[in-house]
Amino acid sequence: MMGIVDKIKEIDGTKVTVQRENRIFVDVEKERVIGTLYSMKLIGFSQLSVLSVIDRIADNQFEIFYVLYNRDEKVNATVRVWIDRDNPVIETAEKIYPSAHAWEREIAEMFGVKVEGNEEAGKPFILENWNDLPPMRKDFDSIKYSSEHFVFRHSEDKNE
Amino acid sequence: MEKMTQDQVRTIANMLRKRSLWMIHYCTGCGAMELPPTMTSRYDMSRLGLAPFVTSRQADILLITGYLNVKTLRRVITVYEQMLDPKYVIGFGSCALNGGVYWDSYAVIKQLDRYIPADLYIAGCMPRPEAIITAFQDLMDLIDSGKADGYKRYKRDLAYYKENQRKVLG
Ligand code: SF4
Repeated sequence: MMGIVDKIKEIDGTKVTVQRENRIFVDVEKERVIGTLYSMKLIGFSQLSVLSVIDRIADNQFEIFYVLYNRDEKVNATVRVWIDRDNPVIETAEKIYPSAHAWEREIAEMFGVKVEGNEEAGKPFILENWNDLPPMRKDFDSIKYSSEHFVFRHSEDKNE
Repeated sequence: MEKMTQDQVRTIANMLRKRSLWMIHYCTGCGAMELPPTMTSRYDMSRLGLAPFVTSRQADILLITGYLNVKTLRRVITVYEQMLDPKYVIGFGSCALNGGVYWDSYAVIKQLDRYIPADLYIAGCMPRPEAIITAFQDLMDLIDSGKADGYKRYKRDLAYYKENQRKVLG
């Protein structure tokens, strides 16, 4: 019988790294993400656990990763794709994994990633009245924003 | 019977008020974890005449457990304004006091008393049930002596509070 790793390797254009048992990384090109996710679902990865972004600012790239889970084999596989940081656009995965909908709204808000095909990505989600850089980007200066907007109490301050 | 003076009425009212406080707790942060032991048999806050309550209209105490961000602050202000006088606010944990470990966060608004008047703060991250019980007792003393006047200050300094609120809420 074919192991789950071999099955993933059969999917076109994937580079598979087996970190340890139950922990597999699958690197793909941007054009192949949706196809790969679809194939992964067909071979038993029925659950999308996490969809998020790592800001690879040194390379000027965003790493988008999809953590998938296979309940029968009890295996986690992470599909990773690097995209251009200046023009971050991905295609929606919500047709394959409906739970991607909320994750995509989150990365759109927190990282400024454009999600094509997800109508609600880009609308306000968690933040209210946000008008600065998306706050999870590494070039966003949280201390500066915080000290500009909210007042810190120093020990000598009197109450009013 | 002689007529009671305004002061005497107030004294008696305060004395009665402090013995029956209903609390609405707005669990914004992790500190809410310490409330179940405070309420239930281990520390049993009802022996002090306090009871948790679910609606803002009937509550006397607003307990803010932990950090507030722009989103939750808006709700807190609504809850606070819905409450009827006299009403008391307790800021719970270092986050409500000054941002705590989230002092550099883009979301946490740091000082609660710039937006609504806090009568009392409980320091600590997170404060233990003993500290909460002590705070309730302190609040009772403040009510008894008429010093818990946050709701009066809110009316008096409404312009100050509204300006600060507008600054962060837009
Ligand atoms: S003071 Fe500590 S326990 Fe309380 S909300 Fe802040 S971080 Fe959490």
